[in-house]
Parts: sequence; structure tokens; C-alpha cells
Amino acid sequence: MQKTTVVVIGGGATGVGILRDLCMRGVDAILVEQRDLAYGTSSRYHGLLHSGGRYAVKDAEAGKECIEENTILRKIGRHCVEATEGFFVRTEADSEDFEVKWVEACSKVGIPVIPLSVQEALRLEPNLSPKIKSVYRIPDAAIDGFRMVWQNAASARKYGGRILTYTEVTEIENTNGQVTGLTVRNTISGQTDKIQCDFVVSAAGSWAGQIAQSAGITVNVQPDRGTLIAFNHRISSRVINRLRPAADGDIFVPHGSITILGTTSSAADRPDDTTPSSAEIVRLLDIGHALFEDIRDYRILRAFTGTRPLYSADPNAKGRGASRNFVILDHAHEGLKGFVSIVGGKFTTYRLMAEKVTDLVCHYLNVKEPCRTASEDIVPDPSAELMAKAKLYFPAYGTKLAASRLGADGLERVVKRMQEKPEKSQLLCECENVTLAEVEEAAADSTSHMLSDVRRKTRMGMGTCQGAFCTYRSVGAVDANGLSWGQDTGGLFKEFLQARWNGIRPVLWGNVIREAELTRGIYDATLNINGAINNEK
Amino acid sequence: MRNNDVIVIGGGLAGLFAAAVAARQGRKVRVLAYGAGALNIGGGIIDVLGYGYDARPLSSPEAGLADLPPEHPYHKIGRTALADALAFFQDITVAEGYEYQGSLQEMQWLPTAAGTLKPTCLLPKTMNPAVLKQTDRVYVVGFDYLKDFYPQLVARNLQPYFKHQTFTADLCSLNFAEGRDVSSLDIARWLDTPEGQDSFLKQLKRKVEPGSAILIPPVLGTQPDYTLAGKLEAELKCRFVETAALPPAVTGLRLRTLLLNYLKKQGVIVVEKALVSGAMVDQGLCTAVMTENFDRQRTYQAKAYILANGGFYGGGLVAQPGRVIEPIFNIPVAAPEAQEDWSNAQLFSGEKQQFAQLGIQVDEAMRPLSADGSILLSNVHVAGKSLGGYDFCFEKSGNGVALASAYQAAISC
Ligand SMILES: Cc1cc2nc3c(=O)[nH]c(=O)nc-3n(C[C@H](O)[C@H](O)[C@H](O)COP(=O)(O)OP(=O)(O)OC[C@H]3O[C@@H](n4cnc5c(N)ncnc54)[C@H](O)[C@@H]3O)c2cc1C
Ligand SMILES: Cc1cc2nc3c(=O)[nH]c(=O)nc-3n(C[C@H](O)[C@H](O)[C@H](O)COP(=O)(O)OP(=O)(O)OC[C@H]3O[C@@H](n4cnc5c(N)ncnc54)[C@H](O)[C@@H]3O)c2cc1C
Repeated sequence: MQKTTVVVIGGGATGVGILRDLCMRGVDAILVEQRDLAYGTSSRYHGLLHSGGRYAVKDAEAGKECIEENTILRKIGRHCVEATEGFFVRTEADSEDFEVKWVEACSKVGIPVIPLSVQEALRLEPNLSPKIKSVYRIPDAAIDGFRMVWQNAASARKYGGRILTYTEVTEIENTNGQVTGLTVRNTISGQTDKIQCDFVVSAAGSWAGQIAQSAGITVNVQPDRGTLIAFNHRISSRVINRLRPAADGDIFVPHGSITILGTTSSAADRPDDTTPSSAEIVRLLDIGHALFEDIRDYRILRAFTGTRPLYSADPNAKGRGASRNFVILDHAHEGLKGFVSIVGGKFTTYRLMAEKVTDLVCHYLNVKEPCRTASEDIVPDPSAELMAKAKLYFPAYGTKLAASRLGADGLERVVKRMQEKPEKSQLLCECENVTLAEVEEAAADSTSHMLSDVRRKTRMGMGTCQGAFCTYRSVGAVDANGLSWGQDTGGLFKEFLQARWNGIRPVLWGNVIREAELTRGIYDATLNINGAINNEK
Repeated sequence: MRNNDVIVIGGGLAGLFAAAVAARQGRKVRVLAYGAGALNIGGGIIDVLGYGYDARPLSSPEAGLADLPPEHPYHKIGRTALADALAFFQDITVAEGYEYQGSLQEMQWLPTAAGTLKPTCLLPKTMNPAVLKQTDRVYVVGFDYLKDFYPQLVARNLQPYFKHQTFTADLCSLNFAEGRDVSSLDIARWLDTPEGQDSFLKQLKRKVEPGSAILIPPVLGTQPDYTLAGKLEAELKCRFVETAALPPAVTGLRLRTLLLNYLKKQGVIVVEKALVSGAMVDQGLCTAVMTENFDRQRTYQAKAYILANGGFYGGGLVAQPGRVIEPIFNIPVAAPEAQEDWSNAQLFSGEKQQFAQLGIQVDEAMRPLSADGSILLSNVHVAGKSLGGYDFCFEKSGNGVALASAYQAAISC
């Protein structure tokens, strides 16, 4: 049994943000996540660092929080942010009245909006439909959810935070209305254990209702599905928003060499009801057509779904938190001291949410240390000396990329692996430029328990071939290093390829079906990883 | 303009073999090919039928033939034509000095780079799995810079299937490889050179005992020729077995070279980079096909046409949401309307994938059929992966169907 002061439930952006903030203020804390870090909505999302433009008209406060956090994250999280800027584009189908309202609202909230001629917009973004009516520039950006979560986690650990993945909270324990600890279950082995603590913060996103329920408390969170398409092109260099009241299918976000289009909205059966449907994809393509006329010719990579935690306030609940964007529920008001839930919000505002919760927890713990997360870089930049050393091993274009992905400490460890064995600098995943050494480093981390965990840390298998080539290589690399987590290689192959398949299946046409024929050709026809073997053998 | 009797569309295994069969029938043949198809990635391993409908392994490729449903290509082709196709294929390989071994009566279980065994039918001599059982020591040898073959994994996974053999893993170093991303094709090219052979031999001599078997990825030269393997085996007094492995497929490259050499001798013209973009059809007869090139359009005419342009990978079938298109003749291909019905939720489910079985329906002469079963084009015959009714991955039947359907199509012209 482990002991700590605070347990944070949930390894999404909010949870790791809280863990880091607590640890920076000197509070002893453990984060528990039922699967892998960023398994939930924090990787099943658009990856838009909102400028606030989307919310300005309907929810000025949320818009204000977005623009403030946007400015902060560009600085402290620069390795995770691609400062693309964004366009808001009105098509002929969208209302002019709304455009006027929107410009006014943005200026009130303090979001800088610059009008642009359609001609100039088309010069900058030639794939946009020439039929568009008006365009504004706005400080949107792209943000890498996996990387943000990992770098927060790395920083939190440096400050003494502990992270337990594949650890599910099953019960919150109390004595006389004061939290005393948790029961947790290892979701791989099934073993249960206890953690002793004084305080529990639930940052479980769409699962927040379930967590509260395990302590006999009602938190009305209704998970809501949102499906997204990843295209294998950079359709535009900027974030493209449709200038109309927020609706389905109206945002395109470029990330590196891909673009993500979304999203949809429909009630989810469960928080992890994350299988996209083909109908959702076809609908998104229909809507997206208004902004990009050639949309049906763009090559799709895969589709994915996340669930938003839609929160509706319980009219009887007390202690409503900071803003309408997110709420902090102090369950002391319901008679359970030492238990707080944070629900709602956006990825863009994770830091602010973490700050507010941590303030509350510190207040109870009588910790006076102020919050420093708005000014301290999440991970330090690698030194010039380390970069020079890294350049000897990474392909020229790959050094900066690897440095951003790994942070200074991670880069140092990976370079050391390459120094010891130069063949480890070979690319294991050519689509995403991931070296063997990086895969070994990620696999060796205590939070990794299967190949998909390595994928989330490195991006291996997320590119054009969707694992066709790197699956074999990563299974081999993990196996050769004795890191196969007690599984046979057949199990490793299947887990990784199945996770890719979930996002391929709903878009099984065009080049995706071609790639699927290739992948099956390799793993089924050639390597027979599924095949039964003649008994007498 | 030369008169063609037969025009073959597609330069994969089905297309090249159909051309060979048609040439043997005394036909003047021209192949219009756009790329090498699956040969360069899937390889030259000829599966015929490995698993029955219950997903259980078959004792021999022919053991499962009787149970196939009527829409399966083998069912239409029949056992005799299948056997004739394989026999003629083997004759060609013998004539070209790179014999393929095997028969419909015997299943060969070939080791793979994943350390599994896969059931197959015809193999080059350097892939003969029986060799492993004729020794008590097997060295699994990889290369330090080759990330597509992990010898320890192969050795450990294979060991349980071989009670009387001891498997050990080892690595050879590639002195040319520093700082490069190396494929098995690069190593095969290296072993084409005397320096590569010397270095490889020197290293192996220190590692292996005479009388052993050496299991390696397919790297024993790029040519359809056993001279290199023979020379190395004589020096080492060991036998080699090449495994099934990841693309690029060296074995498929060898087979392609072999077939192209053979076709040249038979006077078959193979036009490369010829992308067929459409056809002229008059009352159920194809009168010409057109190719689209960067410079201009060309028209080719023949008495009969063989459509062998592959599946989704090859380009013979194109999928859109809820439908499949055959782009040259616009032959109807039935597909489930709901995309979710195209595939199983599990990638490896122990069941066939529906999308893999989508394709053109044909009669016994491999002529395309309409939905109501009538013959759409009387002088067009379909071969290879664009045929419907089989899942080559599940069954392990890809190149077998390609050979048999090509044979049937060509003799029906
Ligand atoms: C389709 C879509 C698009 C979006 N796009 C954007 C965008 O572009 N920009 C933006 O700013 N925001 C966006 N959002 C919102 C944003 O993604 C989420 O608000 C944010 O990621 C939530 O993070 P979180 O950490 O609160 O929740 P999550 O990331 O869901 O983390 C909760 C974690 O808790 C874990 N957990 C649950 N139960 C237990 C348990 N019993 N024990 C242990 N762990 C448990 C889960 O496994 C999960 O990992 C989008 C949301 C959706 C659905
Ligand atoms: C990765 C992989 C591994 C495999 N492993 C095995 C194995 O171990 N054993 C086995 O038996 N089978 C295997 N297969 C299956 C086997 O390779 C195929 O089933 C078989 O080769 C199909 O041959 P084909 O000639 O019908 O099609 P393809 O090889 O696809 O050839 C089609 C040809 O037509 C050309 N073409 C397409 N459109 C046009 C056009 N409009 N004009 C002109 N030309 C055109 C293409 O460029 C190509 O040259 C594997 C397949 C894959 C993908």
C-alpha cells in the first residue's frame, strides 16, 4: 500500500496539470489512470489551442479564459504548440448578421481579429473554396495533446510526483465523512490494492460521474460523442473555422503533415463509447465540402471519437466553482471532506483548471506556496551542447523534432542509447521519424505496458502506413530488449494492429482500403500471426 | 501496328502468368503493365489453400478444395485446371533454372520473420522447410542494421515446433550499412557482389557448425538463380532456408525477373508504365483499350483481353463509401451499403473479412457477370486479385488463385 497526501484521478490534461501544480507547490501526490496517460479525451480531440473566437458570442467568459491561456501555453508549452494562427471563414450559407455580432464580441473579449480580403485569404490558403464570403485572422494554434500530457507528466515526476497507469479507482474510502484513501484495481492483472491519502481530486473527465457515484455522490456528467477525421495532408497551413454559431464539422486543424476535421455531437452510451461510425464520417465530409471543395479527394488516414463531459448542474448542489466553462465541486458540501471533482472545461484551459483546483486543495492543506505554472516552462529547452551531440545521431531534419518531442531530459537519455549503439539511430517508423532508440526509451518507461502506450509517447504508427511496417519492428525491438511486459509476441502484434484498425474500419475506402490490404497481406498472409498451426507440427 | 491476339492488362503475377499461358497457346500477346503489383511486396511464395472454412489448418492444399463455396474462384476453375496451372508454372521455373518445389498433395509449413509457420504450396528451393528437420542445429541469422528481421524472436517462437532441433540466434554485421536504413533488398544486392559474399562467409564460418541449417531473411541474391546459394552452402557445408518476411519482397522480385525473362523468349511484349484508362465496348465485345500516358493516349486492339489489374492494392478495384468500382470496364461489383458491414470489428477475428472478398463475379471461362448472372463481356477474361469470392489472407490462397485464374482465363481466350 502506498501513502500520499493527495491522489489525482485521471491521466488527461487536467489530471497531469493538477499533479504538476501540486508537486511544484511541494504537496506529495500520486496520479492514478485506469489505462494509459492521454487515453481519454485529451488525445481524442481536435488539438486546437483556442483563441476564444469560437466562444466569444455565446460565452464571453470562456472566450476570455481561452485567449489568456492561449497566450500562456504558447510560451510555457512551446514544444507542444504549432503557432499556425487561424482563419474564421464565412461561406455563402452562413449568416452575415452573425458575422457582425461575432466581430463585436471578439473585440469585447479582447481577442484580436483582423479582417482579410477573400483574394488574400485564397492566396494564403489556396485549397479553400473560392466561393467563401469573408475571412478573419485570429490567434488560433495547434496543440499536441499527447505531447502536452507527457511533458506535464515528466515535469511532475521531476518534482516528485508519482504516476500509476493501468490503475483504476474502484472506491473512495472515508471515516466519518473524511476521505482516508482509495481502493484501486490493476486493469491488466486484476489485482486490487489500497492507497492511503487525505485528499482525492477527481479529474476523470467523462468518467467523473462514475467516480463520484463510487463515493455515493451525484455529479451529472453526460458523455457526448464527437468524431473527427484525420487527413494525410496539410490541407491548410492555418486552423480554419467556419464563421457561424458553433456547429458540427466546422473546424480544420493542421498538425505537422496531417489535418484534423471535426466534429459531431451525439449522446454516448458510455464514457469510452469511442468507435466512430461511417455515417458520422460521411456527414463530416458533406459539411466540410463548403470550406474545401476537393475534400473528397483528400486522403483519409483514420477516424477517431472522443467524449466530452457535458455537465448539468444539480439544482441542489452547492459550492459552484470558477466559471461557466468548468466547475469545481467541493463535495464537503455533500458531507464528504477531502473530495473534489473538476468537470467540463477544454484542453486549452487545463492549466487554469489545475491552478484553481490546486488553490482549493492547498487552502485545505494550509499550503501557502503560490502557483507558478503560468510562468515556468513545462520542460526546459535542451542545451546547445546536447543539441550538437544529438545532431550526430539524428537525421538532420529530425533533431529539432526529437528535441521537442522528448524534452531535454528525454533527449539526453535517447542520445545516450545512440552513443552506445549507433544502429539504434535508425528509423523504426519512417512516417513519423521515430528512431529505434526512442521506441526503446518509451517502452522502458514504467508507465508502458503495451505497444499502444509506446505509440502515444512517440507517435510511432500514427502516420501514413498506420503500422504496416513499424508494428513488426517495434515488436522486435521491445522483445529484443526483454521489455515485452510478459506477453508473447503474437499478443503484442494483435494489440497494436487492432488499435490502428479501430480507426481504419469506419473509413475503409479509397487509399485506406488499399493500405488495409497491404497490412493484412503482411501480418496475415505473409507472417500468419493469427494462424493456427497444424497440430502435428 | 502489330496485331495482338491477346492483350493482358496488369503486370502482377496473374498478368505475367496469363501472358505466358496465352503465348504457349500460340497467341500473340501484349502486356500493358503499370508497376509490379503485389509481387514486389508480397513475394514469390505460392500459397494455394492453407486453411479450411472453419479456420482449421488443412493437411494439404487440395484437401480443402471440395468444401469451397460456388463463388470461390477455385470452384469455377476446377481442380484439373488448378493442377495444370501449377504444373506449367513449375515447368517455367525449371526452364529458367530456378525451380519451385511442392505439390497440391503436400502442405509446406514455412517459417516466417515473426517466428510463426505459414502453410503454403510452392516454394523456391532456398525456402524448403524440410531442410530444418534434416539437422539437429538451426542458426537463425539476422543482420545488425536490418530492423525487419529479429533472429531471437524467430528462434524463440519457432523452437517449440521443433523437438529435435536446437535453435540459436545470431547477427552478422553489415559493413556497408553504417547510418543507413537497410532493407532485405539492400542485403540481397550486397550478396550479389563478391565482397558481400566474402564478408558474409567469413562471419558465418565463425558462427556455424557444418551440417547445420541457417535460417535467414530472403537475402540470397536478387536473381532467380541458385548459384549463389549453392556456392555458400558448399563452403559452409550447411543448408540455407529463407523465411517469409516483410516487404520489399526479394523473392517476388526474383520471380518477376524470371517471368519477364521467360516472356521475352516467347516473344511477348511487355509495355511498362502503360496505365489503361478505359475501353471501347460494342455489344458485349471489347474492341479496344486505351492507355493514358503523360505524352498521349494510345489505343490497343486484340481479339481477347485479360483483365489482371489486381484488387484494391493493385488498382483494379476502387472503393468509395458504400460501393466498389471496377474502373476500366465499369463491371458491377456488389458491396454492402453500410460501411460497417465491410469488415469485422476485430482485425484478426478468425473469420473472413467481407471487404477482402469483394470483387468481380465470373463464369467458368472467367468472363465477368452482371448481377443477374449474364455474361457482360464475351471476350474479356478476369484473373487475379480483382476476382471476388475469396479472402487470400484468411485462406492463404493469393498467388494460387492468381496462377489458376490466369491459366483459366488464358486458355479460355
Ligand atoms: C471531439 C472533441 C474535440 C475537442 N476539441 C478540443 C479542442 O480542439 N481544443 C480544446 O481546448 N478542447 C477540445 N475538446 C475538449 C477537451 O478535449 C477536453 O476538455 C479535455 O481533453 C479534457 O481533459 P481531461 O483531462 O479533463 O479528461 P480526459 O482526458 O478524458 O481524462 C480523464 C481520464 O480519467 C481516466 N479515468 C476515468 N475513470 C477512471 C478511474 N476510475 N480510475 C482512474 N482513471 C480514470 C480516463 O481513463 C481518462 O484518461 C474537445 C473534446 C472533444 C470530445
Ligand atoms: C503484403 C502482401 C503479402 C502477400 N503475401 C503472399 C504470400 O506469401 N503468398 C501468396 O500466395 N500470396 C500473397 N499475397 C497475395 C498475392 O500477392 C496476390 O494475391 C497476388 O499476387 C495478386 O496478383 P495480381 O496479379 O492479381 O494483382 P497485383 O499483383 O496487384 O497486380 C496488378 C497489376 O495491375 C496493374 N494495374 C492496375 N491497374 C492498371 C491499369 N489501369 N492499367 C495497367 N495496369 C494496371 C498494377 O500496377 C499491377 O501491376 C500477398 C499480398 C500482399 C499485399
